Parts: sequence; structure tokens; C-alpha cells
Amino acid sequence: MNDEVSPTGSAVVLDETIHQPTRLRIMTLLVSVPEPDRLAYGFIQQTLGLTGGNQTIHLRKLEAAGFLAITKEFEGSKPRTWLQATRAGRRAYADYLSNLQRTLGLGMSAADGRAGSQ
Amino acid sequence: METFDEGADALTAEESWQSIHTTMDNVRSSMYVAGMAMILLMWGVILAVGYLTMYGVYTLAPDFAEEYPWFPAPLWWVLGPVGGVSSGIIGSRASRRLSYGAAGRRAGIRVCLFFVTTVVAMFLILGVAGVLDDPNADGGKTLTASIAGFVALSYILFGIMTRAVIALAGAGFAVAFFVPHYLLGDAALGVTGVLSLVVFGLAFLWIRRTGEW
Repeated sequence: MNDEVSPTGSAVVLDETIHQPTRLRIMTLLVSVPEPDRLAYGFIQQTLGLTGGNQTIHLRKLEAAGFLAITKEFEGSKPRTWLQATRAGRRAYADYLSNLQRTLGLGMSAADGRAGSQ
Repeated sequence: METFDEGADALTAEESWQSIHTTMDNVRSSMYVAGMAMILLMWGVILAVGYLTMYGVYTLAPDFAEEYPWFPAPLWWVLGPVGGVSSGIIGSRASRRLSYGAAGRRAGIRVCLFFVTTVVAMFLILGVAGVLDDPNADGGKTLTASIAGFVALSYILFGIMTRAVIALAGAGFAVAFFVPHYLLGDAALGVTGVLSLVVFGLAFLWIRRTGEW
């Protein structure tokens, strides 16, 4: 885990599986589409400008953490690899975002917001 | 393997925040431009065919052009819808290769609505201005120039919102049409036809060769 300090002085923990430049961008791409949607391996590679090897290594780490699901399919004779953020991945990303906002002093966290509305 | 994690600690909270916003912008615009390289090339061909046909008729069959000054209208009434429908098919097929689900469909619908709105606005403005009511040769030239202006403007606006190369292609097409239009007289349409293909062909090659937008 990566410890940061919020403007109020309290310690904030950022999930280090996500808090890495490439993995953060991959997760951002995957959670930017609605939950059942999948993105093609090549689309992520092209959009983020990654090399195949680099992307594969980061995808394996995210998959090992249970944050994304990788599906391989054939469209005719062409293999296609699809990536999808899992529910656990979306929750982890939401928590990461919430903690990041606290670190930056950008208002309440999502959890605070839910608690405040009850 | 861990070497790929180098720099992870160097990612500050501010950099993370900025990276998230940049990535969000990229994914939206990437979905909007699905298949755009092939679409640009196709429009380069369509515009070249249209302008070179007009140039050919004015040059080789001036009597026909004089008797039927409205002849460009049916030509573009065929080429325009063919291009529009083909763009939709190419974009839709490319989008399905990139993403599977609602996000890609929504992006495709937005792009379609953008260009449909541009075309509707074009006809409304030209209709109100009376350009569509004038069937003589001068009116036909005004209409051709007006439509070229709208085509260029729609690509420039779409490119500003998505990728710079599309805006540059729009600006390039404007130059390819209006500079010969005001400087070259009778040869203008022929030159514009060739330059249109060159401009959109270069945009296609730029995207295909570099992968950069």
C-alpha cells in the first residue's frame, strides 16, 4: 500500500496495485465504460500508446488482483482479446479515487457522501 | 518484471488525478473516431469523383452543362448519401472491434447525430439564404462552394473535439477547394478534385503509418 497524507494531516492509503502510472490508466479506461462493457486489448494498447509486452505484464497484475477479467474469443479466424473491469476492480477503483480525492483535499470521499446522505 | 513498476512511487497524487482526466478524455475521443482513417480516405475518393465529374462535364460537354445547369445536384444527391451510409457502416464495424457494449454504441450515435445535424443545418441555412432556389449556373457554383464550406467546417469542428489530424484534414480541404475556386477559374474543380484526394489520403496515411492522432 502507498501511504499519502491528506491536507487535514490524516494518513490516506492508496492501493498500490492501481497506484502505478500504466495500471492506473488501464483501470481508468476499463471503468470509464458501463459495467457489462468490454474493451479490446488492441484498443487499450492504441489509446494508451503501450507496447504489447508492457501492457500484458500490467494486465496480469490487475487480473491476479481480481480487478479485471480477460476473455479470448474468435471472430471468424481472428482471435480477439477482451478486457472487462470486475466488480471488485470497480470497487477498488472507486476506493482509490475516493482516497485520492481526500489526499488532494477535493471534498468528501464517496463513503463520506453515502454516510452523510443517510 | 518488476522493472515495469519503476516509477510507481514517483506518481504523486496530483499526477494521478491529471492522468485520470487525460485518460478519460482519450477513451471518449478514441471511441468517437473509430474507423476514421478509412472514412477520411473514402470521402477523399467521393469528393474527387464528384469534383472531377463536374470538371469533366464543364470541360468536355459544355452544351450539356449549359442546358442542365442543375446537373451537379443529382450527382451529389447520390454521392452524399452513399458516403454517409458507408461512413456509418465503416464506423460501426470499427467500433465493434474496439469495444463491446453500450459505450461504443452511444459514441457511434453521437458521431452520427453530429454529422446529421451538420447536414440539416447546412440545408436550413442554405434554404433560408435562398441558395437552394436558384437553379442557374451561378447559383449552382454558389451552392457547390457553400457545401464545400460546410463539409470543411464539420471536419474542423469534429477534429477540434476529437483528434487534430481530422481538423487539419478539414482545413486542408477548405484550402483545396477555395484557393483554386478564387484563383484558377475553369480549372478549379479539376484541381480541387485531385487535391481533395491528396488531403484526405495524407490524413489516412498519417493515421495508418504513425498510429498517432
